[in-house]
Amino acid sequence: MTPAIEMKGMTKYFVSTHVRANDDVDFSVESGEVHALVGENGAGKTTLMNILYGLINPDSGEISIGSQKVRIGHPDDAIKHGIGMVHQHFKLVPSFTVAQNILLGMEPDRAGFLNEQKENELVDELAKKYNLPVDPAARIWDLPVSMQQRVEILKVLQRNAKILVLDEPTAVLTPQEVNELITVIRGLSRLGYTIIFITHKLIEVMSVADRVSVMRGGKMVGTKKVSETSIPELARMMVGREVLLRVKKKEIKRGEAVLEARNISVSDVNGLAAISHVSFQVHKGEIVAIAGVSGNGQTELVEAISGMLDLDGGEIIFRGKPINNASVGERRDKGMAHIPEDRMVVGLNLQTTLDENLIVSRYNHSEFSRYGFLLMKTISQFAEKVVNAFSISAARPGEGISMLSGGNLQKVVVGRELSGDPSFVIANQPTRGLDVGSIEFVHKTLIEERDKGAGVLLVSVELDEVMALSDRILVLYRGQIQGELEAATATEAEVGILMAGGNLEDLKQHEKDNGQGYKREGKS
Amino acid sequence: MNNQRFRKILDAILVPLLAVLSGLVVMGILIVFLKKPLFESYTILFSHGFGCEAYGNCIFITALERATPIILTGLSAVVAFRSGMFSIGQEGQYLLGAAAAAWLGYAIHLPPILHPLVLIIAGMLVGAGYGWIPGILKVKLGVNELLATIMLNSIAALIIEYLVQFPMRGDRSTTAHSPVIDESAQLLAFLPGSKWGVGFIIAVIAVIVIYIYLWRTKPGYEQRMAGQSTKFALYGGIRSDRAAIRAMLISGALAGLAGAIEVMGVHRRIMTGFSVGLGFDGLTSAILGQIHPIGVFIVAILFSGLKLGAQLGLQLKLDIPRELGGTIIGFIILFVAAGKFYEESIVRVRDWFTRRRGSNLKGESR
Repeated sequence: MTPAIEMKGMTKYFVSTHVRANDDVDFSVESGEVHALVGENGAGKTTLMNILYGLINPDSGEISIGSQKVRIGHPDDAIKHGIGMVHQHFKLVPSFTVAQNILLGMEPDRAGFLNEQKENELVDELAKKYNLPVDPAARIWDLPVSMQQRVEILKVLQRNAKILVLDEPTAVLTPQEVNELITVIRGLSRLGYTIIFITHKLIEVMSVADRVSVMRGGKMVGTKKVSETSIPELARMMVGREVLLRVKKKEIKRGEAVLEARNISVSDVNGLAAISHVSFQVHKGEIVAIAGVSGNGQTELVEAISGMLDLDGGEIIFRGKPINNASVGERRDKGMAHIPEDRMVVGLNLQTTLDENLIVSRYNHSEFSRYGFLLMKTISQFAEKVVNAFSISAARPGEGISMLSGGNLQKVVVGRELSGDPSFVIANQPTRGLDVGSIEFVHKTLIEERDKGAGVLLVSVELDEVMALSDRILVLYRGQIQGELEAATATEAEVGILMAGGNLEDLKQHEKDNGQGYKREGKS
Repeated sequence: MNNQRFRKILDAILVPLLAVLSGLVVMGILIVFLKKPLFESYTILFSHGFGCEAYGNCIFITALERATPIILTGLSAVVAFRSGMFSIGQEGQYLLGAAAAAWLGYAIHLPPILHPLVLIIAGMLVGAGYGWIPGILKVKLGVNELLATIMLNSIAALIIEYLVQFPMRGDRSTTAHSPVIDESAQLLAFLPGSKWGVGFIIAVIAVIVIYIYLWRTKPGYEQRMAGQSTKFALYGGIRSDRAAIRAMLISGALAGLAGAIEVMGVHRRIMTGFSVGLGFDGLTSAILGQIHPIGVFIVAILFSGLKLGAQLGLQLKLDIPRELGGTIIGFIILFVAAGKFYEESIVRVRDWFTRRRGSNLKGESR
């Protein structure tokens, strides 16, 4: 086979951050293969792909496409050479239709006037050709994320790309949607397209890729055939040491209820009901998972419990007392910790120092302030302690945190929230966007909290995470609890059908009918 | 460690420094257009803004005197901006603080020391009250504080005009002004024939107090966190609304203090046309001073010196219109607003240097 792309000796040094993001990286992709590119955050995957797509100019190194040396200084060059990129954050116009987005800048016109019908026909044709059905007339904002991604892929194909770069395409999808995407990728590969697939998730690598390249610390660690490697080996290559992919946990010692939600309802920012009449309990020493596709009320539920959002109805009992009227600060003082889903905007203040980030929930306590003055020395010592205890390698007391990687930022949040010995921890998507090493760390710490006797409410859209950590699973669907499962006996299929809005009877019926899983057609 | 600190400070002052230099270059271009001697203009601008004459008659002293109210209104802006309130109400708060001091200066009679103290407190209270209005409007009703303070500035200017024309009018002279305040209420000057005095000391103390307040106390911490990220503050348990109100009270009190000191130390009264935009000068020095108390202190003196140099030097000696001073300051602000341009150029220059040096540096990969 001829290499479709050959990158040799790619080096990129970022002066502003003093990081050699790519250090003499060789990377080659064969024509027609699905090639996974994996590595921790900050390993240099995205830099390498941005160089290939002309978004970043390398300091040195050369690129060949189809054995011909090329210079790619701009995305236009990349497109000319048949390279297309689907970014992690879609670049679509939400108010435009599918067809308008796909044909943006290349609309068939009649004397300068748009011809909507022709546009739709063109897109229909395109969709049929690649077996990626879409409704050309639908507006982007009405479409689910997986459909938007499909539109992005069609847009790239319409521009005659032969080589597709997909930057973490599965990060935003549900398990079912991931399966569909994998089918799509397989189909495109069969049609002769070359696909580069960036991801953190090794399971996906195993199920979709032909070969896999692993990067670490700006260097290429190696390239393997997927058939000749395993998940533990890839994890080791990524992190540089043995990684526990599934953290062990002790037998559950369930204590009394620490948090109880009684029939609570919450509205979202637009005043629409986001959570309606939800009741559940979290006991000491257990991890209760709220599973569900994102956007089913998780954010509002968490904000209501933590005190950031008012309840419309119902009651929240914390350690035996109703806290409906307690402020965020009062709840935190009583031992509630909260790892928010958005660490960049909510969980941290990137404009200030590590120290000031670490005291936000406790600057009021006598350990950190006296007579209204902050005890700078104690605070600095505390920062030192957290940095050591949670091994936040890159962070230094007294200095800013905006340059830290996602994993280290999350460690700052986790370090702050868990160093106060909380009795109840809310962890909302605690591992989103993190690499295997950091995920292992977060999982371990959460289980430690549980074993120490804290109640943990884990909100996650990652099925693996829910299955690995929780003792009890509540599935949230459209603001209501669609079902409750004991984690020990639950199957992924059961959680999946509940996440899609079905119920367990459907699943049994379905299995009886054709002896298959839910994968192809989950009822909703 | 020390090196790092030095670098941080350097990073902070680089843009304002380049802006000031650019402003001075533009001044040179304008002077060439006016067909005046270029080199002499610069020496005269500086000697008449920041210099001393042989027998101890320092213009620099006057620059310090003029800087006093600007330092205080600048601090007022710093407190508001750092707390996320884009308040430009310093002018109005300054005017009403001045009016309060001017009135109590002649309406009540108290012994020295006590009298100035009462006036200062009154000025601060009135300023704080006038700062509270946009604060409460913002917190309770979501009224944009920028718009509210613009309106309140106009209202305050008209209130002052009314006061000096009617209820507080001192005599029947052609220009309206209030009676001179009691001698017991006036602030001491350090040198005969100058008005540089106790007010300046108060301003210096205020710089230190505000610095400590913002960076070393609990309420200051709350205000800065709320100002940088309301979501982070809410999440951490900080009451942003209270922090905002507190910020506006302090900000107003500082501007009111500036007004009181200006009345007690310089004018001894208020008169028609009392408002010459000292509140706005504070605002601009806060921006050029990187929204930092020490930066404000330096910039306020710089601005006062530049204006003096233009007025006493360029205009009298070289017959260059004194408005040039204001023009330079305007350009400097413009260049600060274009600070991104400098930052990008600095990075590019640094990039170029390190690349030349760095091609055989050992890589520090993450």
